[in-house]
Amino acid sequence: MRSETWRALVLRGVAFMLLWWVLVEGRHDGWALGALAVVAATWTSLTLAPPGRRRIRPAGLLAFLGFFLWSSIRGGMQVAAMAMRGRRALRPGLIELAVRLPPGWPRILLVNTLTLMPGTLGVELSRKTLRLHVLDERLPVVAEARALEAAIARMLRRTG
Amino acid sequence: MSAIDWLSALLLVVGAAFFFAGTLGLLRFPDVYSRLHALAKADNLGLGCVLLGLALRADSLAVAMKLLLIWPLVLTASAGVGFAIARRAQTLGIRPWRQGDAP
Amino acid sequence: MTTLALAIALFLLANLVVALVAAARGPTSADRMLMALLFGTTGTGILALLAAAGAGAAAVDVALVLALLAAIGGIAFAKRAWRARHHVSD
Repeated sequence: MRSETWRALVLRGVAFMLLWWVLVEGRHDGWALGALAVVAATWTSLTLAPPGRRRIRPAGLLAFLGFFLWSSIRGGMQVAAMAMRGRRALRPGLIELAVRLPPGWPRILLVNTLTLMPGTLGVELSRKTLRLHVLDERLPVVAEARALEAAIARMLRRTG
Repeated sequence: MSAIDWLSALLLVVGAAFFFAGTLGLLRFPDVYSRLHALAKADNLGLGCVLLGLALRADSLAVAMKLLLIWPLVLTASAGVGFAIARRAQTLGIRPWRQGDAP
Repeated sequence: MTTLALAIALFLLANLVVALVAAARGPTSADRMLMALLFGTTGTGILALLAAAGAGAAAVDVALVLALLAAIGGIAFAKRAWRARHHVSD
């Protein structure tokens, strides 16, 4: 096996062991079933999603998660304030942006996380452009979308 | 009550407030797009607060992590369903409401 | 504390009912799809709170499974919407 496959095997195996430990709430009975489940899950994951060319940088992933968490808190507070004020707080519109991320999961992640970000909602993603619905055109929505795009881009590392 | 208990209670109340804001947005916003904003953002943040509040007073670390595991799953669900609804609304030809339109 | 959890669970339930009625009234079929969103978020929240309010740890497992099914459903929804790009069938 290639070293990449070994690496993925170990990482995913450990992740599934942790998941099993969480699911059984740390109990020790039933470890045999757990071992079976971990092996089955790791094998399935390696078969269905073999380690690809694009690896995720751990530091980039952490930064992305922090960015995402903070943005969803801001987004929730913003939309809650607008709901309190009613529709006169809104200035909705559609905007189009050129996508800079490579196709595949980075773009899918972008369009889906935008829905949870402040003021933006992914409506359509075509080959080159992304169409967004925004709650308030006066807000710096393009800057928010670009910041998210940059956060995703920092997670990517090309290998091979 | 300890400080953790107070924090947990506070998070539960704040979470409930966000759920309320989400429902309020659903009732008051003019079209499907803006309602989607309200539900996707406010309800998910509310759920995150509630789950964190419950996790703080869980009996063990594993139970706390199990509660927190629910959040990313629901976020995935909301993101996927939200995108599908927005797409659907567009293919149905629904124009976004603009300030000045009739309700 | 269990009283607070129960009170908040009931509050969320009231929210869910109001929101479901509002979403069901439409007017478009896209509005009605908002109901799917409500069950995932509010539904799991209520179950997790009920577990703390005395329903037992098994309610957390139910909440987790509901969240998992909602996530799979959400991905399926999004993929379907993706493929049905230019076909309007209503």
